Amino acid sequence: MELLKAIAARDEAALAQLYDRYRVILFGLLMRILNNREEAEDVLQEVFLQVWRKAEDFDEERGRPFTWLVTLGRSRGIDRLRTLASRERVAEAGAREAVEEISDAASDAFKSEQRGLVNKALAQLPDEQKRPLMLAYFDGLTQSEIATRLGAPLGTVKTRMRTGLTNLRELLAGQGESFGF
Amino acid sequence: MVHEDYKEMIPARALSALDAAEERALNEHLENCDECRKELEEWQGTAATLAVVADPVEPSPKVRERILSEVRKELATPEVIPFRSTSRNVWRSFGSLGAMAAVVLFTALIVGLVVLWRENRAINEELAKTREFIEMATTPGAKVNELKGTDLGAGATASLAYDKSGRAMLMAEKLPSVPRGKVYQLWFIVGKNPPMPGKTFSPDDHGGGMLKDQMPKEALDSAIFAITVEPEGGSNAPTSPVYLRSFEVN
Repeated sequence: MELLKAIAARDEAALAQLYDRYRVILFGLLMRILNNREEAEDVLQEVFLQVWRKAEDFDEERGRPFTWLVTLGRSRGIDRLRTLASRERVAEAGAREAVEEISDAASDAFKSEQRGLVNKALAQLPDEQKRPLMLAYFDGLTQSEIATRLGAPLGTVKTRMRTGLTNLRELLAGQGESFGF
Repeated sequence: MVHEDYKEMIPARALSALDAAEERALNEHLENCDECRKELEEWQGTAATLAVVADPVEPSPKVRERILSEVRKELATPEVIPFRSTSRNVWRSFGSLGAMAAVVLFTALIVGLVVLWRENRAINEELAKTREFIEMATTPGAKVNELKGTDLGAGATASLAYDKSGRAMLMAEKLPSVPRGKVYQLWFIVGKNPPMPGKTFSPDDHGGGMLKDQMPKEALDSAIFAITVEPEGGSNAPTSPVYLRSFEVN
């Protein structure tokens, strides 16, 4: 991806452009994970500074920029969540902060088409497969923690998680390019 | 475990949902298995699509300003003079000739490292610091542990010397700059207890950092040392991921 190459070459404008393109989706992800605007903004800043310092590590042979950025952002978000959870959860579950309206520019940048595709695919998964995926991805729970949370045997959770992700991959097969952004 | 067992664990690894022991085992396997590494990248692509399920939210415009201001600051900073890399810590005791040789070698390395560390500082200041670090490191029973940068602090290294009384001195290099209002903070981690806070310090323009602290006595015999980025004044519990850490319990 040209933007990441330009960032690796210390092009500040390219970083600004990458930020403008992905800030809404990444910030939405971090808000979903952390449920706290201040913490999510702090992590968003860390993520883009890491992109600035590590853009040269991105290898286009090994994946799409979207995957790289989202994996990085989600990983930092979960790290922060676990740090916060070791003290106290930022807010009680369910008490989600009000989501501000997104700007027109942000709406343009965020492709609702991809969202529709993933939601449609998830809707086709049985709840018993979907829940472990969501608890792992957005709440950062391990398989053992999910088994405790759901009161299910660990082996069952492992199987359902693997099957769920496999099914999601198959349902999204052929849509891959949509996620290249 | 065989290859197929590891393969089965990969989707959960893409969701970072493996328990710690399983993740460690799989990570070791991934180091030597191209096929599984490639498969992990594919599963990470599938997992990443879940991100779009979250409601899109607009961050404050201040975040953009803070990022770009930090980037400009980094662009204005001249290249860091590379340190001579340190060898693995082999300090054990003063009980053998081998250890004495290691002491001499290490001392020489520290002198070189410190002199390079802040070449542009007044030589007297350098010598004073060097002397202090060496005095600390060569006190009978003293130990030196090395800290290395994680993904966040990639390339950064630090040496922490401390004596039996817990008097400790940390010297770090190649530290990433920190956002305004943030500082580095040292932590002492004993077993599974919550990390004990150490003092804070700010990196200089060349990514160097130095800190004198008094170690908690619980950390004297068995501890991991870590450095995080915290608000000025420090935190009672870490609020950021680890930037540097030691890997061997002292």
